[in-house]
Amino acid sequence: MSLPHFEYFAPRTIEEAVALLAGAGGRARPFAGGTDLLPRLQSGLVRAETLVDLKRIPELCAIGFDPASGLTIGAAVRLADLLDSPDVQRRYPAMTDAVSQTATVQIRNMGTIAGNVCNGSPCADSVPVLIARLAHLALMSPRGERLLPIGDFFKGPGETALEPDELLVRIHVPPPPPYTGFAFAKLPARTASDISAVNVGVMVARQGGVCGEARIVLGAVGPVPLRAHQAELRLAGATLGARLLEEVGRLAASETRPIDDLRASAAYRRDMAAVLVRRALVVAATRAGLAVADAAPAGDATGASE
Amino acid sequence: MSQKPCIGVNVPRVDAWDKATGTAQYTDDLSLPGMLHGALKRSPLPHARIRAIDTSRARALPGVKAVITSADLPRVRYGNWRFSPNTQDEYALAVDKVRFVGDPVAAVAAVDRDTAIEALDLIQVDFEELPGLFDLDAAMAEGAPRIHEETAGNVSVTREIDYGDLAAGFARADYVRDDVYLMPPVSHAYLEPCSSLAQADSLGRITLWTSTQTPYIVQCLLASVLGLRENEVRVIKPYVGGGFGGKMELRSWDVCAAFLARLLGKPVKFTQTRDEEICAGRRRHPMRLRSRVGFTKDGLLLAKELIVHLDGGAYNSMGPTATFLVGNLGAMLYRYPAYRYRGFHVYTNNPPAGAMRGFGAPQAFFVAEGQMNEASADLGIDPIDIRLKNAMHPGDKIRGFATIGSCAFTECLERVAEMSEWRRQRREMRPGRGIGVGCYSFVTGGNFNWFDTKYPFSAAEVRAYADGAVHLLTMAADIGQGSDTVLQQILAEDLGLRLADVTLYAADTSLSPKGDLGTWASRVTFMVGNAILDATRQIKEELFKVVALKFDTNVVHSFECKDGMVRVKGRPEKAVPFGEAVAMVQSLRRGEPLIARGSYTPRDMGLVAPTYSFGAQVAEVEVDRDTGRVRVTRIHTAHDCGRPLNPQAVEGQVEGCVQMGLGYALTEELVMRQGRTLNASFLDYKIPGALDMPGIDSVCVGGPEPKGPFGAKESGEGPVSPTAPAIAEAVWHATGYRARRLPITAEQVLRHLETNPTANDDRRVKP
Repeated sequence: MSLPHFEYFAPRTIEEAVALLAGAGGRARPFAGGTDLLPRLQSGLVRAETLVDLKRIPELCAIGFDPASGLTIGAAVRLADLLDSPDVQRRYPAMTDAVSQTATVQIRNMGTIAGNVCNGSPCADSVPVLIARLAHLALMSPRGERLLPIGDFFKGPGETALEPDELLVRIHVPPPPPYTGFAFAKLPARTASDISAVNVGVMVARQGGVCGEARIVLGAVGPVPLRAHQAELRLAGATLGARLLEEVGRLAASETRPIDDLRASAAYRRDMAAVLVRRALVVAATRAGLAVADAAPAGDATGASE
Repeated sequence: MSQKPCIGVNVPRVDAWDKATGTAQYTDDLSLPGMLHGALKRSPLPHARIRAIDTSRARALPGVKAVITSADLPRVRYGNWRFSPNTQDEYALAVDKVRFVGDPVAAVAAVDRDTAIEALDLIQVDFEELPGLFDLDAAMAEGAPRIHEETAGNVSVTREIDYGDLAAGFARADYVRDDVYLMPPVSHAYLEPCSSLAQADSLGRITLWTSTQTPYIVQCLLASVLGLRENEVRVIKPYVGGGFGGKMELRSWDVCAAFLARLLGKPVKFTQTRDEEICAGRRRHPMRLRSRVGFTKDGLLLAKELIVHLDGGAYNSMGPTATFLVGNLGAMLYRYPAYRYRGFHVYTNNPPAGAMRGFGAPQAFFVAEGQMNEASADLGIDPIDIRLKNAMHPGDKIRGFATIGSCAFTECLERVAEMSEWRRQRREMRPGRGIGVGCYSFVTGGNFNWFDTKYPFSAAEVRAYADGAVHLLTMAADIGQGSDTVLQQILAEDLGLRLADVTLYAADTSLSPKGDLGTWASRVTFMVGNAILDATRQIKEELFKVVALKFDTNVVHSFECKDGMVRVKGRPEKAVPFGEAVAMVQSLRRGEPLIARGSYTPRDMGLVAPTYSFGAQVAEVEVDRDTGRVRVTRIHTAHDCGRPLNPQAVEGQVEGCVQMGLGYALTEELVMRQGRTLNASFLDYKIPGALDMPGIDSVCVGGPEPKGPFGAKESGEGPVSPTAPAIAEAVWHATGYRARRLPITAEQVLRHLETNPTANDDRRVKP
């Protein structure tokens, strides 16, 4: 109802921030954009006695790119900053697609991609592509830093592998592998700038004229973002065509575990998972330089954009 | 030199600068020295007896100044329908029983908002839960518990309309439709939550600043609840951030703020949260409408029977009006030779519904237009042609309640057909796309005196000064629709002045002339505009006398106020500057200022409204056949508002209506379970945003309405109705799916397409 009282710190270094979190014994929360944290504090869904603001720590506000190690995104980088980054625009188009469809302009101007990840929401729009990209999360605690594959981070709705005294400091995204294409597709619940009823991040690698490795990640259709492993295996080594993608979409849908809620029914979510997977694969294949026989052009209304 | 006219031209809103720069003060922005903050304890149960309320722990919380329950308040029931006191069924705080989730049971005043909210949790209410009634059939079932003791069967209001020979009409019909439609509850979603701030003087008289559309109604009802005389309560309306019908009643927090201010001798402010607004604010009536219509095989209407059950929720609120209006509007737009209406307002344990933009019309026309579209398909007549055959025309009469004044409905239909290239598009549109039409009519003001006011329906006081400035005093309530601007336009134009010569003092019951019933039924421009013209007529009479005297005018000449002058018509040299003429009048009156009071009350104009707007709208949609998602790509709309006084303001109203209609059609609904509203935030209550809006071509069609000020009729509510039926028809055109309930969700469309893969494509010209 009303925002509870809390102590507020704005440290200047990662070490200070980690010390503050550790010192609070689980009663502190890192605070970046606040677009999810503050409403949750207000409604009582999250309790915190201390907020540790990350926005004054220069390293956490930086985006870096290196051809060998890839992209590093600091924990206080706003979603809008990512969209403005020429490196992201040029080398990570599916991330741009995902981030540009996350929330609204106003939220993107405050909210961070690290916050989107740490919420542990199964429908976070920036997550499926990060998983398909095999991103790693750098987690810092008084015990030092550990690197965790993002696929191992999500434990359940709102639950992550983050320890109470740990801080997500950076997201590492490997450099774009050659001959691969990534894509993102989302079905907003109802309005155009809406939370996702289903979202999808995919990767297609080209091996000669056929599909090599493929990755399919689905959001909002299970307690955590899911990999559709059987569908991925079906693609490996296959020649891409409309009929195959239909089958792969159905296969991926069968691997989901959606629920009924206000935003969509489970049955609709499952059906839409198949559609989005199919559409996203067409885009990813095109980006990888692979032709898809007899494929309909990717639909625009649901966001499987080029 | 001649001045620019003030009427019929685009005039920027007088409130635009304050609102765009954030300097506009809304009620919650106001603060007074020593002000306390209030909060309401609301029922967590839909239906329960209150055994006891223990406020001791809350009162003991440091910072809490008072906690009140119904035991503290005078036991006076209130409601807008003073005309029928038996409909007044609400107490400010629940007495003995709560009837919906959110019914207020206690109120707290504390030194700050956080303390007030903390205190709410410390109030202990001992409830005995009663069986809840959440749907119409359960509420009307034999032996159902009574929600209000005095209302057996839980039907609180009924309305019947009968004219023509219904049986003969249906007997002659070649084609009869009989459909049931279900319409959902939706929220006004005004951006400013309700707020009120009360201050008491040493004698206990009240000043209340409140976010309201109806200052006079709040004044009267608040006085009656507190046992004060009407004129011991002063209501001031600051800037209001939207109302759409949801702010036209006395509400619990108005009463609690005023009572606590008297009790504690300090100002008290209550502001609602969004959660409270969505769960316990008013809402558009959910309805079940059964409609039977008969046509000849050529598409001529013969008879209509409309049976409507309104889920009014726990209290009557504006339900009686809704029950009347749906029936009235059900007979509008087309010529129905025979008509039968039965309306039932049913109490349930859902949150109370109230007035909402287009009151009764979105439901009535979704049904009428839906059936018209279905009939057109079955009879093989183009949807626009079947409407042209049955359209109302100027001078048409509906027996017993309405005479149609100006009516450009036919022109509106022809115009949207032309704008949208209807005939070509309807035939040639590619699969997956669709085009559909929806139409409407709406009241311009209401004739029925449900508030039982003893004053004129509208009044205006005009004060003309020797310095050329003019003051306009009125109780008209601008809630964002732009009436402050258009009323000043009317005054300036009629006195030949510039807008800058006019200053408006509005919506303060102690200063504005009695009375005005407020902002609803699209009445303000029409009724207050006419009251202004009644006042300016008197002002001009005085001014013309002195000009006649000065120039010893020939008796055959007449006078005018124009270009800042009062002058003899056709004799430009015989002119006196406006201020000088006022000075002459004042001098002749030995100093008494030139003030005139004008008023307007509709008389002998039928039961419903002095005049009606009409219009037609075409929607183009694109349906994604894999997902069922509908995207509205274009809206073409033609509106007959008489003469538009400020065309860009009319355009803004029409576009705002399209946004609301779009939400009603595709995205909005209050999701209810056992009386609880499950989507009580803007995260899950889905209002279309900028990205959802289609391009809109809007035009005004039709000539001036003789009864209207400078020819004006309504524009703020009518156009909210056609969007949903036009979209529904376009969706059918694209997919074959007929929606008889709203909103149309992607999943419904997809499930239809799965079983009907031909999707209506056979109706088109093969490419």
